[in-house]
Amino acid sequence: MGEMNTLQKVEAIKSGELSTTENIEDKLETIEERDGEINAFIETNEDVLERAKEIDRKIERGEEVGKLAGLGIGIKSNINTKGLQATCASKTLEGYVSAYDAVVVERIREEDGIILGMNNMDEFACGSSGETSAFGPTKNPSAEDRIPGGSSSGGAAAVASGMCDLALGSDTGGSIRNPASHCGVVGLKPTYGLVPRQGLVDLSMSFDQIGPLSTDVSGAALLTEAIAGLNENESAMFDLESVNYLGEVEVALDGLKIGVSSKFRELTDPEIMDPIDEAVDYLRDQGAELVEVDLPNLEKAMPTFYLILSVEFFSATRKFDGRKYGRKIEEVCGEEVLRRIVRGKYISRKEFKGKYYQRALQIRTLIKKELTEALKKADVLVGPTVPKLPHELGEDISPGEMYAYDYLTVPANLGGLCAGVLPFGKVDGIPVGLQVQGPSLGEASVLNVMKALEKR
Amino acid sequence: MKDKNFDKIRESAEEILESFAEISEGLPSQEETYYEQDTLSVLRSDGKPSSKKDLEEFRKNFLKNMPDRDEEGNLKVEVAEWAK
Repeated sequence: MGEMNTLQKVEAIKSGELSTTENIEDKLETIEERDGEINAFIETNEDVLERAKEIDRKIERGEEVGKLAGLGIGIKSNINTKGLQATCASKTLEGYVSAYDAVVVERIREEDGIILGMNNMDEFACGSSGETSAFGPTKNPSAEDRIPGGSSSGGAAAVASGMCDLALGSDTGGSIRNPASHCGVVGLKPTYGLVPRQGLVDLSMSFDQIGPLSTDVSGAALLTEAIAGLNENESAMFDLESVNYLGEVEVALDGLKIGVSSKFRELTDPEIMDPIDEAVDYLRDQGAELVEVDLPNLEKAMPTFYLILSVEFFSATRKFDGRKYGRKIEEVCGEEVLRRIVRGKYISRKEFKGKYYQRALQIRTLIKKELTEALKKADVLVGPTVPKLPHELGEDISPGEMYAYDYLTVPANLGGLCAGVLPFGKVDGIPVGLQVQGPSLGEASVLNVMKALEKR
Repeated sequence: MKDKNFDKIRESAEEILESFAEISEGLPSQEETYYEQDTLSVLRSDGKPSSKKDLEEFRKNFLKNMPDRDEEGNLKVEVAEWAK
């Protein structure tokens, strides 16, 4: 069974070749064996075996089951899941039990996915290392002593170590793609407005997007299909009922235009570019056409992103005032969360509005225009995900050094693009993720290229 | 909170603003983008009423999150300082 991809596993479960109970028991055993060391889960779900048996009974009776039938899924701790704690890995929300399901969780349950528990993360998704959780750092199962990346650190580590089949993360400036790259798994940040955000605790509402982490491309496509589509209660969504990627994920590279940019190389450590160059060569050899695209202001995306994010985060955290639940955020949060709140408060001052915030929104437009132009010349952009290798767990690095991890991922959030990450080689034994960025609603093309590279 | 270095954090906020001011210098004026996708005037549909089971479960979970409660399960609230 170890050779199956996620889609094949679902088919095996539906055909009775593998039972849901066997699959979930295997996941629980792995959690028992490995999570003490990795710390990928903040809380596990107690009723999973009961739920697994229900699905097995449905299959035995010949009833139709959903597209996620029998898969064990981890949920990032900032996504409300009824009966489990949505702590955002913060002391502010310690012990907070969700009274309702986020729309994405409802959809997973409707498709017969099994919620294994709540994954660890950087506190309030503020971090790129997986070290800022109030419940302790997560270890990288694919690179000993290195950070797993963040902020969806627990989900990526849980998938990489076999503790769950799939995980749901959230991506504001790379929080799915960065840990996917460091842990050697597949991740996808869907186009902003494709997946409902209702029930996600905001970090930065104009950037946040929920998406999948998986061991393979079929799993990312499957979970995205399950959670995507209009939620009528949201005002920033595409009017799409559903999406179909599994049917469209066929390897067809002939004539596909692959965009590459010299800016990617400029911003990235040379050793990381070696596997990326190899991937680009492979795509060209398979019939894709390489197109050099111009992204003159790409490096300006990072400071612009952090400015907008700080303002939105300051606004989003005002509800954690300690009156309705727990303690006031500023009194118990970690240093990075506090840094972003203080910065957001400072920038939100009236006299700075035009000088900084509105100016940042203008540069956001500029970067979006440049990316849109580039994606008129090319079907997808291919490049690295993270410009440097992950640092050692516990190593003291400055905020600036931490933010530098996000140079190549934040542009997709600023521009509202979709972007996927696929493990592609290693440097010094550490996984390197290749990033494929596509236009708004270009998930099928992105997954197609990822699938072609996965088959290599 | 007391042991956190506010001055250092404020300094880092200023540094970000300065670096932003530097990189944005000379760039042309643009329209401002607030959301990548914006559908205004969304009217929420009524939806189905929750089942008795769901309501009970909601109550149970909601009560778990109450700041405090008395022996009968009633919510205990703290009187605001200004009312004392």
